[in-house]
Amino acid sequence: MNDRMHTAKAERIERSLGLLDAEAFEAVIEGAMLAGTHWFNMLLHRAGLAAESADAMHAEFLTAGARRKVAVRLPAALAALDEIEALRTTHVRGDMPDGPVAARRALACLARLREEATKRSTA
Amino acid sequence: MKIETHIDKFRRLDAAVARLRPDVDCELWIWTAMNACVNLLNAALHRARLTDETDSFHTQVEGLYARPDRARGTLTDAIHAPGDVMHAGQPALGQPLPDAIADASAALALIENLREPYVRGGEAPAAGATAEWEGAYRTCVDQLSHALGISESR
Repeated sequence: MNDRMHTAKAERIERSLGLLDAEAFEAVIEGAMLAGTHWFNMLLHRAGLAAESADAMHAEFLTAGARRKVAVRLPAALAALDEIEALRTTHVRGDMPDGPVAARRALACLARLREEATKRSTA
Repeated sequence: MKIETHIDKFRRLDAAVARLRPDVDCELWIWTAMNACVNLLNAALHRARLTDETDSFHTQVEGLYARPDRARGTLTDAIHAPGDVMHAGQPALGQPLPDAIADASAALALIENLREPYVRGGEAPAAGATAEWEGAYRTCVDQLSHALGISESR
């Protein structure tokens, strides 16, 4: 998927997230993962770390070698997406406490991913 | 997770589904509807004793669970018999499902199959297509509510 489509997808999911509050923490965390993954793929493509025809599904599923490269080139984006994905296990598929706090944390990570992607797209 | 926890999660996710439009918010509608149904499916599978009501969470890797130490707030990876399923048929349970759960699983699979074209891919829903999606969601919720003996229709 190209930059324009990733941007359109991420922005539409973010608009949808605006309809939900942190009490809907499972849906918010999932939406942050979906939008964040589009920003993350845009960064991968721009950095030459993945072709537009080879979007990553989850940061966790990158090969060990690919993750090492991404960690060097896009450390903030990788850390942000990793954190969102970890919250899926604890608060979407799991029932660890403080779901709304986790949702707000996922949104902060999403903002970081958006900032990284838009910074690099306007540089 | 426990049956009651799955039902609580379903109710929060179902309320979120109600705030989204399947055409305008198609990505988040699909994902949230799927997660709502998966929670009811897990509750129904536990209730039917087809899967275990374990205190563990499914990870992103099929068959790999995270077991919480609630006193310490930590997780440890674990592999054990299901347990929560991740999606309809994942993992396969190797035994026939009661009719209501089988029908619900087929409806859930329809929603899950929307992820590639509409969430990860660039397709936009054609006019009228979302009625089928909403019908599948309704079927899944109704069948699983029936299996669980709860009333969740709206």
